[in-house]
Amino acid sequence: MDWLGAGVDGPLIVIRAIHFAATAVVAGSLIFREVVAEPALGSTQVATTVVRSQILLTASIGLAIAAVSGVIWLQLQAASMSGLPFGEAMSSDVLSTVLNETQFGLVSEIRFVLAIILAACLAYDRLALLRWLALASALGFTAAIAWTGHAGSTLGEMGNLHLTADALHLFAAAAWTGGLVSLAHLLSAARRHQGFAWASLARDAAQRFSTLGIISVGTLLVTGIVSAWILVGSFQALVITEYGLILVLKTMVFAIMLVFAAVNRFWLTPQLAFSSEKEAQVKALRRLTRNSVIEVALGFTIFAIVGALGTLHPAIHFMN
Amino acid sequence: MHRSNIVRIIPLLLLLATGEASAHAFLDHAEPRVGNKVATAPREVTLWFTQKLEPAFSTITVTNSAGQRVDTGKTRVSGSQMSISLRPAGTGTYHVTWHVLSVDTHTTDGSFAFQVGQ
Repeated sequence: MDWLGAGVDGPLIVIRAIHFAATAVVAGSLIFREVVAEPALGSTQVATTVVRSQILLTASIGLAIAAVSGVIWLQLQAASMSGLPFGEAMSSDVLSTVLNETQFGLVSEIRFVLAIILAACLAYDRLALLRWLALASALGFTAAIAWTGHAGSTLGEMGNLHLTADALHLFAAAAWTGGLVSLAHLLSAARRHQGFAWASLARDAAQRFSTLGIISVGTLLVTGIVSAWILVGSFQALVITEYGLILVLKTMVFAIMLVFAAVNRFWLTPQLAFSSEKEAQVKALRRLTRNSVIEVALGFTIFAIVGALGTLHPAIHFMN
Repeated sequence: MHRSNIVRIIPLLLLLATGEASAHAFLDHAEPRVGNKVATAPREVTLWFTQKLEPAFSTITVTNSAGQRVDTGKTRVSGSQMSISLRPAGTGTYHVTWHVLSVDTHTTDGSFAFQVGQ
């Protein structure tokens, strides 16, 4: 494989996967903060400082990785677009053409501005207004990815539908997978600190995250079907094309994630809520943390698959 | 899932590992049509693709039977359509070579020929 010549698809797949995962962690932790952590912390002041700083640190690390991987993505994309070896493509002419004259470049510039706003909001996080601005910037930073992929090039009215479905799909994926990272941190802290207040917080957060998870899964299913209908088009295309079969692989990993989510929702979370024995609660907390980490790993596997899917011919092209 | 489909996924996992990938915008149709014969030399060649194109990285070149360039050198791109004007170059086989970048960041290239005259 030519890793740094004109054929930069291998590194592109890897860097896209890292960038998508990091972006999901940024947006997911901020969604988690507003819809899960803050409402749950309202009744549990003791853990407030720990949980808020955990989320802030997670979002900041995610943003740093997203920024670095985003710059590398732009450089690899410039080499891919120009057809030049990596070193030659790093000239100001090529980079300036990519940034100023392509849709990918325009979207990259917009996302760069959003990343700076987000970084500033995270640095001065004490004001409520800045927290909401951080969330809005993170959502914009995530949604804009839709314009860099297949949805951004779909023609006509179908293009608008595709972009809407893709942006919602990205929000839901970030809320679920990225949110799980913060949930796993919170559960892990609850297990370390123990005590009634932490147990109560873990229970409340797990229940609230379940609701967020159900909404995310529903959104992922609906928007995933819309995108598959546009990019695959038929069951035949799903099972005979490379794109279709990789999509099947993605769906299988998604189904495994759902199994873990169902175990968390219908078995472990109730144990956390209704078990009167402390030992049973600690055991449930440990299993819930472990399952959340496994779900995150499966989510990151899906991002790797998406990194590859974006470089392939949509299946429907082979069927027309 | 059928066993045969599971077997098909194995090379796809290898594909993920090797990073082999393909391009995106396909030629939908062209004017003059691919492989067709026209009575007189056209003033321009227009190509329609399946996706929106990036003007900065999309080009067409047209050569005659002797391999000489007969296009004016300036490709025009609008949405998924790309055109180039031709200089008068008489009868014979015209070869059209295109290279496009679709807005989803993937490059494709290809070529076709058409005949002018008898």
